Amino acid sequence: MDPEAEATPVVEMRNIRKNFAAVQALKGVDLVLHHGEVLGLMGDNAAGKSTLMKVLSGAYIPEEGEILIEGRKVHLTDPLHARRLGIEMVYQDLAIANNLDVTSNVFLGREAASTKLGPFSVLDSRLMEREAQRLLGRLKIDIPSVRLQVERLSGGQRQSVAIARAMAFNSKVIIMDEPTAALSVAAISKVLDLVRELKAQGASIIIISHRLEDIYSVSDRLMVMRIGRKVRDCPVAGDIDDFRERVVAYMIGARDDFADVAAA
Amino acid sequence: MSFKDVLKQQLHNIREYGMYIAFVVIVIFFAITTKGLFVSSRNIGNLVNAMSYIAVLAVGMTLVIVIRHIDLSVGYLAGFLGAIAAIALKYWHWPVYAAIPVVLVLGVCAGLFTAFLVAQMKIPAFVATLAGWLGYRGALQLVTVSTGTIIIENNTFNALGNGFIPDIPGIGILPGIHKVTLLLGILAIILFIRGEISNRRKTQAYHFEVPKMNMFILKLIFISAVIAGITWVLAGYQGLSWAAVILLFVVLLYSYMTTRTVIGRHIFAVGGNPEAAQLNGISVKRITFFVFGSMGMLTALAGILYASWLRSATTIAGQGMEFDAIAAAFVGGVAVAGGSGKVTGSILGALVMASLTNGMNLLGWDISIQYIVRAAVLVAAVIFDVATRNRGK
Repeated sequence: MDPEAEATPVVEMRNIRKNFAAVQALKGVDLVLHHGEVLGLMGDNAAGKSTLMKVLSGAYIPEEGEILIEGRKVHLTDPLHARRLGIEMVYQDLAIANNLDVTSNVFLGREAASTKLGPFSVLDSRLMEREAQRLLGRLKIDIPSVRLQVERLSGGQRQSVAIARAMAFNSKVIIMDEPTAALSVAAISKVLDLVRELKAQGASIIIISHRLEDIYSVSDRLMVMRIGRKVRDCPVAGDIDDFRERVVAYMIGARDDFADVAAA
Repeated sequence: MSFKDVLKQQLHNIREYGMYIAFVVIVIFFAITTKGLFVSSRNIGNLVNAMSYIAVLAVGMTLVIVIRHIDLSVGYLAGFLGAIAAIALKYWHWPVYAAIPVVLVLGVCAGLFTAFLVAQMKIPAFVATLAGWLGYRGALQLVTVSTGTIIIENNTFNALGNGFIPDIPGIGILPGIHKVTLLLGILAIILFIRGEISNRRKTQAYHFEVPKMNMFILKLIFISAVIAGITWVLAGYQGLSWAAVILLFVVLLYSYMTTRTVIGRHIFAVGGNPEAAQLNGISVKRITFFVFGSMGMLTALAGILYASWLRSATTIAGQGMEFDAIAAAFVGGVAVAGGSGKVTGSILGALVMASLTNGMNLLGWDISIQYIVRAAVLVAAVIFDVATRNRGK
């Protein structure tokens, strides 16, 4: 990759505003994500983290602001559009069909066909199984068989399937909304390992979490939001206790790096 | 794979084979108690004709239940469309080749209308199809009010529900045996074994696990024996009936569609998690239209088979068919909550329920007892299904 492309952020969001009736959910938020970077996104409830990510994944259309993908301005119309541009979202409620097997979930909505006949296209099951197995192997995900129904998997394994699916189609950006919520401690560490593995393989990741330890252990940079605004944007560094203290101060509104911008 | 996973897999299999085992038990029970009358060629032939329209409805109902809906309107819709076919043949003097496609298209339209109410107007399917149940009942009475029962005199049409496929005349060997049926049976076994072997080879070529060789051979022998047995019994009477041919065609088409095609996968995805399906670019609305449209077409087909079987359209045709079809689907292991079910399971469910009715009739059991027995079987089947499903988790 040439240095110029390297310098262009993979995602840039500028001055994003989004209202729900009278409520201003996003009051002009900027976000930058670089290639191969893990960005942690934190904030209290109703800070606007999920709303901002739904704007980026095409689920919400903002009233104002622009989105640039690798320097090109885009107008996202729906989640499929965003996905075609390489933005994949891993939803908090997983968006997985528990009655289907691992392979079917990885390829859900993007099935490989051996004979193309529109909706009646014949599934190429073996190809999909092989690809799914290869993907799980590449990401070092421990699932006994890609033929297992997802409802037979543990919560952590299910989360891994959801994340693997986001990686299956050469995506540029993976957004994870609370990937470690409702998981056991052992499962959390596996999911975090998976995030590191994705990063090592060149993915750019935005991770929403209210678990500060998780953000600290996998993120390169942290962005804190509060009541629809960005209040902090800094590299993740230093001692965790120190880090925690400062982040909490930003989350509860005791500190604000961008107060002057908001006032202007 | 750990021991626990293997155990889970076995539980899964029990759920799948439980219904087959139950069916075999029922057949053996009636074969003994009726002193062989139940498994006589003539009775099996009649049984297949008498269950074909319910089985066709059960196939469509399977998909409807899989996407978490229900269709209560299919009984009277089948009756109404059967009456339309009868009127077209008798009073409008349409040829069979025009009447049947038109009625099938009308069925699709009726199904799409239900889908419009469910997917577009967001009316719960239970309510929308309850309205259909009332409406089509009225429509059936309306079109038959001046004529009463319409007797159908078209032999081609009546052959669908009563006739048998032709045999090759003038072959001396095996007198009294339907040769074409026998040949078709042998062909089915050859195709089945060839398909299974090639599937196993291809799966091995991709380094995926396959069942152990002895289990594989056992399965081949068992299913081949079942096909051979059924073929032999049917060939001993008048051979394969047209109704059986139509039913086989529907079953093959729908099991292929549900298990091997993209739309089949999408139907199950919508049934498993509609929100997830939508987020992954599957239009829940389009799937709903497709499933109800197909239900409508199969309802028309069931109406045609029923009218043809009775050689007439009656003023109460179709009464209760919807519940027989729903019961067949549930007995066949379709999950009440949606998302899971097999076309072949529902056919087996229909076969179990029809065998019970037929066997109990042969034994001269009172109709009141028959209802109670069928109720018990329905409940037992669903309890078994729920129990094995939960333990599998």
